[in-house]
Amino acid sequence: MSNEKMTEKLKVIGKPQPKIDAGIRITGKAVYGQDIKLPYMLYGAILRSEHPYSGFSIDVSEAKKLEGVVCVITADDVDCNNISYRKDHPILKKGEVNCLRDEIAAVAAESKEIAVQALKLIKVNYKPGHGIYDPFEALKPEARIINKYLKDTGQGKNISHKFLYEHGNLDEEKRKSKEIVSNRFVLPRVTHCCLATSNITADFSPVTKRLTLYSSTQVPFLYQRDMAHALKINPSDIRVVQVVIGGGFGSKLDMYPFEPIAAILSMKTCRPVQIIFDREEEFIASPTRQAMVMDIEAGIDKNGRFTFREANIVIDNGAYTSWGATTPFVMMQTFSSLYHVPACRFESKAVYTNNVYAGSFRGYGNPQATFALESTIDLLAEKLGMSKTEMRLINANFKGETSGQGLTYYTCGHKEALEMVIDKSKNQNSEFGIRNEKRFLFGTGYASMLHVGGGAKIYRSDGCGTRVNLDDYGHLTIITGSTEIGQGSETVLAMLASEELSIPISKIKVINTDTDVKPWDVGVHASRTTFVAGNSLLGAISKLKIKLIKKAAEILQCTIDELIFVNEEIKSEHKNNSVRIEKVVREIHFSQPNELCTENFFYEPSSEFQDKDYKGNVSGAYAFAAQAVKVEVDTYTGNVKVLDVYVAQDVGKVLNPMGLTGQIEGGVLMGVGYGISEELMVENGRILNPNFHNYKMLTASDVPNIHFYPIETNDSQGPYGAKGMAEAPLIPTAAAIANAVADAIQARIYSLPVTPEKILKALKEKNIKHK
Amino acid sequence: MKFNVISPKTKTDLLKAMKNETYFRFGAGYTDLIPEMKKMEDIGYSIINLAQLNDQTFRNIKRGQDVIRIGTLATAAQIVNDEFIAENFPVLHQAANCLASSQIRQVATVGGNLCTASPSGDISCALVSIQAQCEILSESGNLRLIPIADFFIGPRKTSMKNNEILRSVIVPINVKHHEVHSGFLKVGTRRSMECSVVSLAYHILTDKKAIIHKAGIAIGAVAPTIRYAEEAGNFLLGKNISSIHPDDSELFANEVLKYASPISDLRASAWYRSEVLFNISKSILE
Ligand SMILES: Cc1cc2nc3c(=O)[nH]c(=O)nc-3n(C[C@H](O)[C@H](O)[C@H](O)COP(=O)(O)OP(=O)(O)OC[C@H]3O[C@@H](n4cnc5c(N)ncnc54)[C@H](O)[C@@H]3O)c2cc1C
Repeated sequence: MSNEKMTEKLKVIGKPQPKIDAGIRITGKAVYGQDIKLPYMLYGAILRSEHPYSGFSIDVSEAKKLEGVVCVITADDVDCNNISYRKDHPILKKGEVNCLRDEIAAVAAESKEIAVQALKLIKVNYKPGHGIYDPFEALKPEARIINKYLKDTGQGKNISHKFLYEHGNLDEEKRKSKEIVSNRFVLPRVTHCCLATSNITADFSPVTKRLTLYSSTQVPFLYQRDMAHALKINPSDIRVVQVVIGGGFGSKLDMYPFEPIAAILSMKTCRPVQIIFDREEEFIASPTRQAMVMDIEAGIDKNGRFTFREANIVIDNGAYTSWGATTPFVMMQTFSSLYHVPACRFESKAVYTNNVYAGSFRGYGNPQATFALESTIDLLAEKLGMSKTEMRLINANFKGETSGQGLTYYTCGHKEALEMVIDKSKNQNSEFGIRNEKRFLFGTGYASMLHVGGGAKIYRSDGCGTRVNLDDYGHLTIITGSTEIGQGSETVLAMLASEELSIPISKIKVINTDTDVKPWDVGVHASRTTFVAGNSLLGAISKLKIKLIKKAAEILQCTIDELIFVNEEIKSEHKNNSVRIEKVVREIHFSQPNELCTENFFYEPSSEFQDKDYKGNVSGAYAFAAQAVKVEVDTYTGNVKVLDVYVAQDVGKVLNPMGLTGQIEGGVLMGVGYGISEELMVENGRILNPNFHNYKMLTASDVPNIHFYPIETNDSQGPYGAKGMAEAPLIPTAAAIANAVADAIQARIYSLPVTPEKILKALKEKNIKHK
Repeated sequence: MKFNVISPKTKTDLLKAMKNETYFRFGAGYTDLIPEMKKMEDIGYSIINLAQLNDQTFRNIKRGQDVIRIGTLATAAQIVNDEFIAENFPVLHQAANCLASSQIRQVATVGGNLCTASPSGDISCALVSIQAQCEILSESGNLRLIPIADFFIGPRKTSMKNNEILRSVIVPINVKHHEVHSGFLKVGTRRSMECSVVSLAYHILTDKKAIIHKAGIAIGAVAPTIRYAEEAGNFLLGKNISSIHPDDSELFANEVLKYASPISDLRASAWYRSEVLFNISKSILE
């Protein structure tokens, strides 16, 4: 159906459309978690450990006596299941803490100030021990067991999750290799820096025994299930109402202890309880991208074709497990399937330490994998003496390819994307090369990326439900299971519906925040929403159209197939007469057999589960991109100025150019931060820079020139041909920057971020060698 | 957090408040004070809020015969927008212009920058290079004038007494010079909202023949206080600015480095700070 559509002239799709929620956001009318105020609401606050690893005893009696304190809880007061998919994380810790975030008590009080005051009255007796902060230390035979809650997985001591993947004949490909490079890459912790800090308002009704959660989760239905499991109650007794989410980027994929803590406080007090993090708490107690050490070996034959890749990865899991421990799913795709490669072996271990735990973050392991792989490709090109662009082009992925891992690319814009950025970065010279050549060095770097673009089948269902309703006045309501977290998905849904039904966007509402109302969806992740929720919506609309057309044919006395939707009318192309859609709705509603103009649809992507060896076509479509980055390096200070970022991305089809550009620019800037400035510094389990002063998130004045070239491959699986695109722009940016810096200074930095200090050191070492 | 706020409108009210309050702090733009207060359990002092003070001597930037008088409450934005300063004291203009961000520059004051006495204060560093003087008013109404070099006595310490307030900064206008070679170099990771990792303020005056007859050099974030690198400036006297030998540039940079005693912290190592200070010092003569 969608292919047919593409040949028609599109009225809405492909035209820039401001986000439909832009107005409420810029006028301050949007209701974020911070804006929720319920009658009789209490304010919650959490006492966290002062030490990363310690035994402790606790006395809350003084806190309970403080006027205005309604409830104080410790582990002794609750009967809960552990959380996380490994069930290795107690909500409140008893007797021992294992990282600095650890929740040891919580308070609900009449005001925020009283709650904070009460925390200070809690007496904790710590017996600090020697923490294990280095995952390699934790892997040693003599190391103690860090997480005592994990049931034995048989994967080894202090390992939360291990992945092993192989394809092809590694030994043979090694023999075939003309050149082999082998290097270690080190990746930092970075954090999401959502503008709205973590928040939850829990409202338990002692009358109905139901729990309402005003939450920023990006996976409302899994959250409902996880919360129910934690609290030992029925999921259907939990209603999740999503507030306007002030930034997600993966941080809200897991449920964290503060959320069930708020629920418990509400259940104990029978009053609503709100917990809001301040910025420092946000830095300390939010998940991070996985810090990891990656040992990569890769080879190339004499013609410049990749032969094999071997990756050995040790991930710092922190003290507990989150979905982040499954990022190797995505990383292994990059090693096994980005550029054609005959053999690959991938092994990763997420290792417990007494550091703050990692979580999921836009790109889901892929920025790390891509940095290591694309740096390796540059090194191979240098060793073989082949051009870096040529080498990428001859190994690029192609349409019809099934990768060693079993990913099948029905459409593939990889080569086109590479050609585009190579060409554009060659022809356009901004400030490039015009300054003092002695002091400033210039370089260009390239990187590609592969990411799922049609969901990812990792749960039992990767589907999404939609209900559509046309009212008697011709206005459409879309009730979608999917979630808006700022990415613009509700706008795209409205556009799709508008295109299909010829109803203007102003007459379309999108309802998507209430699990009591909306149909099931697995959640926002894996760049899946436009693809999966879009297809789901199109399924519902196509049913709705059949209903409308049947009635219209009766009214217009013509056959069904000559009818089209145009200007809010259903029109017969032959007879040149028409009827307004709202009139058709009223006819359906008010005349026999009296029906509503409502339809339901559940879409499940055609993707398959991977087998136990992680092989299989896990996504409905795959997104490809290439970036070229130009940098200027100041050899006096080591500062990198990212001048231009050329982005070519296979997005399948451009649905909303404005939303797309927003995602690209935001993603690139996030990637630049990962590349040159951001790092959550942790020393002996303590976070040294829990503030924007020393956590160097970039600002508007650091934005480079971003040149974006969408590539349309019109994937037959996607809504109007579109693929997922939103994680992609961040994934190759840091890799391309590191390659550009290496090109400029002729020395390589093997870790991120590429800081001024690392650059000056590298320059110094290079000069010493030359002398 | 509970504390008392007094907002004098006139100088008389201000002096009265200073007399009446035992423990107090001044608040001007609050961009240093509020972050500092947030770290405290109990405040334990009153705030004498200067934001509503109408006395123009505290607020204006005023040019006289041979000095400019900058009121303590002049904001970074006021400095940036002052054309005379932009033309004659590029070092001060640039320092004010790279402070924090446009929003913060609207409220951050010159006096706040000086009185915080941070080793990385940008406006302060520029003022040291141009050898400004600090005009200090006591609660009894007495004025004293001290060279800025004597104002900073340690990290976050000034030579002001408890019952004193900074009223203005006085900058000498050097009328004899022909050309100014003046600027402010700030090194950090971000292009705004950045605290200097190393900074260098230079204000060099030459005669018609490009011979240097005055050179003020100040460095920031590389010692417990901002430092005036007097010998480095002296080294340049009598040299022709348009033909400085590269060896002399390096000798000059070494002179500057003698004033630095950098530490390693989160933002950079001592090694990096020295290395960069040397490089940027040399760069101003290239
Ligand atoms: C996000 C951010 C970024 C920043 N970036 C920079 C930067 O790039 N460069 C830089 O140099 N600084 C920076 N700062 C620090 C700060 O903005 C400056 O030091 C500013 O000039 C302080 O001025 P203020 O008026 O806000 O001072 P306030 O906070 O009002 O006062 C600072 C101190 O001075 C005292 N004080 C103020 N006026 C007087 C007076 N007349 N007499 C005696 N004592 C007085 C106060 O009691 C207080 O102790 C930054 C601050 C923030 C929050």
